[in-house]
Amino acid sequence: MIRSVVLSTILLIVCSFAQSTWFGGIAIFGVVPDISLVVLIWVSYKNGLVEGPAAGFLSGLVEDFLSASPLGFHAFVKTAVASLTALLHGSFFIDRLLLPILLGVAGTLVKAIAAFALFLLFGSTIHIYSIVDRVLWIEAAYNGLIAPIIFLALTPLSRFLVTEHGRG
Amino acid sequence: MSDQNPRGGSRGHRAAAPILLAASLLCLIISTRSLEGVPESLGLTVFGFFQRGFAAVGGFFSDSVASIAELQRLRENYRELSTKLERYTNMERGIADLREENKRLKEQLDLSQEISYQRIAARIIAKDPENLYSTITIDKGFGGGIRKNMAVIAFQDGMEGLVGRVVEVGQGTSKIVPLYDTKSFVASRLSGGSRTEGLVGGQGSPDDPLLMRFVKKRVKDEVQFGDLVVTTGFESVYPSDVAVGRVKKVRVLDYQTSIDIELDPVLDFSRLEYVFVIKTEVVPEAQPDATVPATSHGSDEGKQQ
Repeated sequence: MIRSVVLSTILLIVCSFAQSTWFGGIAIFGVVPDISLVVLIWVSYKNGLVEGPAAGFLSGLVEDFLSASPLGFHAFVKTAVASLTALLHGSFFIDRLLLPILLGVAGTLVKAIAAFALFLLFGSTIHIYSIVDRVLWIEAAYNGLIAPIIFLALTPLSRFLVTEHGRG
Repeated sequence: MSDQNPRGGSRGHRAAAPILLAASLLCLIISTRSLEGVPESLGLTVFGFFQRGFAAVGGFFSDSVASIAELQRLRENYRELSTKLERYTNMERGIADLREENKRLKEQLDLSQEISYQRIAARIIAKDPENLYSTITIDKGFGGGIRKNMAVIAFQDGMEGLVGRVVEVGQGTSKIVPLYDTKSFVASRLSGGSRTEGLVGGQGSPDDPLLMRFVKKRVKDEVQFGDLVVTTGFESVYPSDVAVGRVKKVRVLDYQTSIDIELDPVLDFSRLEYVFVIKTEVVPEAQPDATVPATSHGSDEGKQQ
C-alpha cells in the first residue's frame, strides 16, 4: 500500500511540474489539461479509498506550493475528487474510450464543485470556475479527451501503482 | 463479523479520506488566517528547486530548436545595432552637454537625488499548474534580492508595461500574480488630457481585456479609443507612470455613477519570457549596481521581446 501511495504521489507531482513548465505550448485558449487529475482518477478508481485520496492529498499539497492558491486548496480538491472516484472502485469495467472520457469530464466538474464549496467556506481568497466561462468547459473537454490516452498509458504501470487488492 | 467491504478495505481505510479532507481544511484555515505565508514560502523553496529543473530541461530542448532562427535574427540585429552604434557615437557629445546642463539645473532646483528604480532581471520558468489561478514563477528568489510585494514590469516591442507583483518568495524562485488575475487591482489613470483615475483589475485570463472601474462618468466623452492607462503610483507597491493598457471600449450604464473601461494590456502575456522586478527605493543618481537602474518610465533598456 505504501509503495503504491509513494509511487502514485511521485507520478502526480511529476505531472504537476510538467503542467506548470512544459504545457504552455499545448494550451487551448490558454487552458492547459489537468493530467495530474486524470492520473489521480485512474489511481483512485483502481485502488479504492486509501491510496487515491492519500496520493491526491500529498500531490495537491505540493501543487499548493507551486500555485498562488492558499495552502490546502489543491490538497482538498484532489482528495475530494480521489475519494469520490474511489467510491466507484470495482463498480464498472473500464473500457478503452467511453468510461475514461466520462471520468475525465466528471472529475473536472467535481473539482469545480469542490472549489466552489471551499469558496463558500473561505471566501474571496479561493478562486472558482464560472459555469458561463469557457475555461471550465474547455478544461473538462480537454481532460475527457486525454483520459483514454492516459488510462492506456498507465495500464502497464498497474503493478507499481495499484495494490494487489486493487488488481483483485 | 468482518468489517471489510468490497470497495476499499476496512473501516479504518474508509476513515482515511475524511481525515485527509480534514487535514486539507486545517491547512486552509492556517494559511488563510495566520502564519503569513511561512509554509508557502518554505514549500516554494523546496519544490521551486525541482520546478527549475523541469524548466531547465524543457528550456534546453526548446532553446536548441529555436537557436537556428535565433542565430539568423542575431545577425540581423548585429547589423542594425552596428548602424545604431555609429549614430549614437555621434550623439554622445551632445548628450554629455545636456547631462551637464541638467546637473546644473538640478543643483539650482536643489534636487540632489532623484527617485529611480533598480530592476532585477528574471526569467519566467513556470506558470500555475492549473487553470484556476494565474501564477507566474520566476527564477529569482530571496537570494536574488526579491521581496514580497515588489512590482514586476517587462518590455515588449519597445514598450514598458506592468506585469504584476510578487506574492511569494522562495530561496531561488518567486511567484508573481499577474495583472490579469481576478484578485489583482492597480490604481491607474488615463494618461490623456483628463488624467482621471480608476482601479484596473483582471478578469482571470490573459486573453480577456482588463477592466478599469470607478472612472468618473463626466469624463466619458474625453476617453478615446487607444488612450494609454498608466499606474498612479499611489500605492506603495507599483511605481507611477508604468503603462498598464490601452482603452478598447467604454461601458456606460445609466444606473451607475461611474463608467467601466475595457483595456487591452500593453503586454502580450503569452509571449513574456523575461521580466524585471522593481526595487522601489531612493538611490543616488549615478550609483553603480549589479542590477539595472532605470527611471520610472520611458526607458527602453532591458530585454526587448
